[in-house]
Amino acid sequence: MAKQVAIVAVAQNAGAESKDNFYDQAYAVTKEVLDKAGLTRDEIGTVVSASSDVFHGGISCANSYYWETTGAFLKNASRQDGESLFALFYGAMRIMSGHYDTALIIGLCKGSENPPNDTCTLMYADPFYQRGVGLTETMAAAFQMRLYMERYGITEEQCAKVAVKNLGNGLRNPYAHKKGRYTVDDILRSERLIDPLTALQVAPKSEGMVALILASAKKAKEIAAKPVWIKGFGSSLDSYYLGDRDLLNGQLKNAADRAYKMAGITDPEKKIDVAEITEPYAFQELMWYEGLGFCGEGEGGRLIDSGFTEMNGQIPVNPSGGVLANNPYVSRGLQRVVEAVLQIRGEAGERQVSKTVKMALAHGTHGYAGQCHAVAILGR
Amino acid sequence: MGRPVAIIGVGQTKHGRRMDVSYPDLVREAVMAVFNETGLTPDDIDGVVSGTMPSMMEGIALTHFYFADAMQAAGKPIMKTETCGSTGVSIAHTAYYWVASGMADLVLAVGHEKMNEGNSQATMTTVAEPFYQRYFISGAPGVFSMQSQMWMDRYAIPEEKIRDAAAFISVTHHDSAFDNPYAHIKMRVTMDEVKNARIITYPVRLLDVCPNSDGACAVIFASKDMVKKLGRKPAWIRGVGYRGEEYFFGDSDKVVWESAIQAAKQAYDQAGIKNPRKELDVAEVYNPFTFQEMLFYECFGFCEPGESPDLVLKGTFSRKGELPCDPSGGTLCTNPIGATGLIRVAEAALQVTGKAGDHQVPKAKLALSHAMGGVDQFNGIMILGSKL
Amino acid sequence: MEAKEYKTIKTEIRLPYELAYGATWTRFFEGLKNKTIFGTKCTKCDRVLVPARSFCPRCFVDAEEWVAVSQVGTLIAWCYTNYKYFGMPTEPPFIGSLIRLNGTDVNFLHLMGGFDLNNFDEVKKIVKSGMKVEAVWSDDRKGHIMDIKYFRPL
Repeated sequence: MAKQVAIVAVAQNAGAESKDNFYDQAYAVTKEVLDKAGLTRDEIGTVVSASSDVFHGGISCANSYYWETTGAFLKNASRQDGESLFALFYGAMRIMSGHYDTALIIGLCKGSENPPNDTCTLMYADPFYQRGVGLTETMAAAFQMRLYMERYGITEEQCAKVAVKNLGNGLRNPYAHKKGRYTVDDILRSERLIDPLTALQVAPKSEGMVALILASAKKAKEIAAKPVWIKGFGSSLDSYYLGDRDLLNGQLKNAADRAYKMAGITDPEKKIDVAEITEPYAFQELMWYEGLGFCGEGEGGRLIDSGFTEMNGQIPVNPSGGVLANNPYVSRGLQRVVEAVLQIRGEAGERQVSKTVKMALAHGTHGYAGQCHAVAILGR
Repeated sequence: MGRPVAIIGVGQTKHGRRMDVSYPDLVREAVMAVFNETGLTPDDIDGVVSGTMPSMMEGIALTHFYFADAMQAAGKPIMKTETCGSTGVSIAHTAYYWVASGMADLVLAVGHEKMNEGNSQATMTTVAEPFYQRYFISGAPGVFSMQSQMWMDRYAIPEEKIRDAAAFISVTHHDSAFDNPYAHIKMRVTMDEVKNARIITYPVRLLDVCPNSDGACAVIFASKDMVKKLGRKPAWIRGVGYRGEEYFFGDSDKVVWESAIQAAKQAYDQAGIKNPRKELDVAEVYNPFTFQEMLFYECFGFCEPGESPDLVLKGTFSRKGELPCDPSGGTLCTNPIGATGLIRVAEAALQVTGKAGDHQVPKAKLALSHAMGGVDQFNGIMILGSKL
Repeated sequence: MEAKEYKTIKTEIRLPYELAYGATWTRFFEGLKNKTIFGTKCTKCDRVLVPARSFCPRCFVDAEEWVAVSQVGTLIAWCYTNYKYFGMPTEPPFIGSLIRLNGTDVNFLHLMGGFDLNNFDEVKKIVKSGMKVEAVWSDDRKGHIMDIKYFRPL
């Protein structure tokens, strides 16, 4: 995909609970990203937001409430439900269609206002077969984790290492909700929620308004000294019923392949400099290494053991701390993009990786055991 | 602007009370219908976009996951677009931009709702936040009733005339529904019956308002190359428009309703339309309320402000009038909300491809479709034509 | 031939939420406790918005000037609601109303009251668009929108 759409400004006000109300928080992050781009609301062509009614304070037609806070008054704007990476894709497509030169993309989720994640994700279960059993994302992940460990001999320790790494990386991220120096033992000794998942291996429920501005090639160069180009993107959806699916062989590979193809990448393990991926359950990061092509099937445990994905590794994964450190459910995919952009621009502060970052990957997932995956490749 | 995009096939369920099927099966019915109609298979589809009203309506969140199999979307790129009542048109827009961007050649758009499984008024109350508006918004009828009042007052339209015009519209659309095999409410009504029906929120009465319907609609959007390759009659997207106003109901004027006016203007400009009443052959206006429908005619430039009741009574917008509006019976007779906007688009496509059967407007070549959403907040338009 | 209707499963869902007031709503609702209705003025377009907002949706600048607005206004539109649905927040019959408080530039959504609401024909004689109305306060104010009991005809 030739340089068609670039990210010219990013902003986030994620992290621990904010006392501000939803409406004002949304306005604040929109204003910030506009100011960073040096644009006024009037100069933005279109707005695509992402929110999700169950994760939205009990206010159902989500974009109705916050419409004007995103600068969308009397604009042609739209909304993706569920995951904010899709708002990015939709905004990019609106620009690629030639209809617009700029797009404001925003993910909105205020975790502190919502019930626990499991209460919300129980709502994905159909009331006939799966809800009565109490199927939530955590339960689905527990199934998946056991299968993964048994099939490939992945150990609990290897899974826990993801949490150690990410919560540790979170210490250098001012936007992280959870952070700390933990040992593998600490992780494994934390409360066993649904075996084999322990509490520290499960993402929290966080605040997160995340915004960025997209521009067409023509406009990008006017606005930003360092535009970051969207090189490729892709998504894929798996079947619905948990029992119908191969939980170890889902749709991440398809999503990634679509993104890599657009970006002209055939050897991601060599070309990707840094990856921000969505790992609401620690073990899933290991599985996603495989789906993204960073290593072979079943080798996720060995990869983390080797240090390949540490801050000074060949592909640092989640220098921001990932979703284990900060989980504003709906906004988290877009937050991965923002973190990737900061890494490429060398603006990630304390969490900046030391190697030069030319190409970064951002990934989002939601749904039971990763029913839905989305991948974006960003680069200079 | 961007690659040309056309609709090459539509499918609908028999809308109504569909307790004979589960929600996934209802969705599948529409999807199978469009595949049967076009002769395409799921393998041909590059991406799927779906949308619906919020989770509270049927009590299930992220319905695109639930319907992954019903929509044959497993293994495919997916989008889930939701903008309250305007969802149906927003889904169509998503599919349109997807193909126009070059990222896909064939996109399946699916809108659906199973309102009989939930409580629509209770659901709609949750659109309002509990700080300010939730206590005063008594479901949809109250909002539209206030808007109608403001319109009547603004143009000093005598109440009797408006009631007559509203009843005329109700009779017209209820008659039209008999010519639409998919419509929900098939009931002959008279002007008297409409004018004296039970009051819901004054001045809106039972026969002035839409039903709760179950239904789904599936539409396939295609690139120019695909249109050529498949040899199907295309309904070209000639213009798209959308606008949203503030969340607070009292902030913007809902009579000179800018979101409706400007959404239409954006679409007209793209389509090169200067005189909509003359140039459009048919309009599928989102019309859950007869009173509000007349206001839409004015906002879309079909007539002057305050003039629509007169023109309605003259028959200008009737089946044989200058600009037939909602020959399908419209939202007034069929309203599965998540699908409704897409049904307007589908009906417009049927009209300009000559496939609208008994409710075909003869020689229709240019059609407008529309959906509204939120508390009188959003308006979306898609204009379709038989020629590019 | 009528389609067969199969069984149904009845379920009810309750989801708890706790929404932050933040600085702006807190100040507005503290105002209500003190029988004050706050609006904010946009310095760019000069419009006074009520309820008070932290920014102007059109100019997209912070709206920092707070004003105690008039509690008298004009009834712009009203709707008499007398039907019930599950979980209705306000007990019918009630009259949803859009009121233009004097000196403000948007309509404020609230209720009409202070007279018998039960007979619509009688209500129609009293309530007319364009009439002057005035806020009536509840004696038991908690910083809630219903601290204003209703607006009564003047």
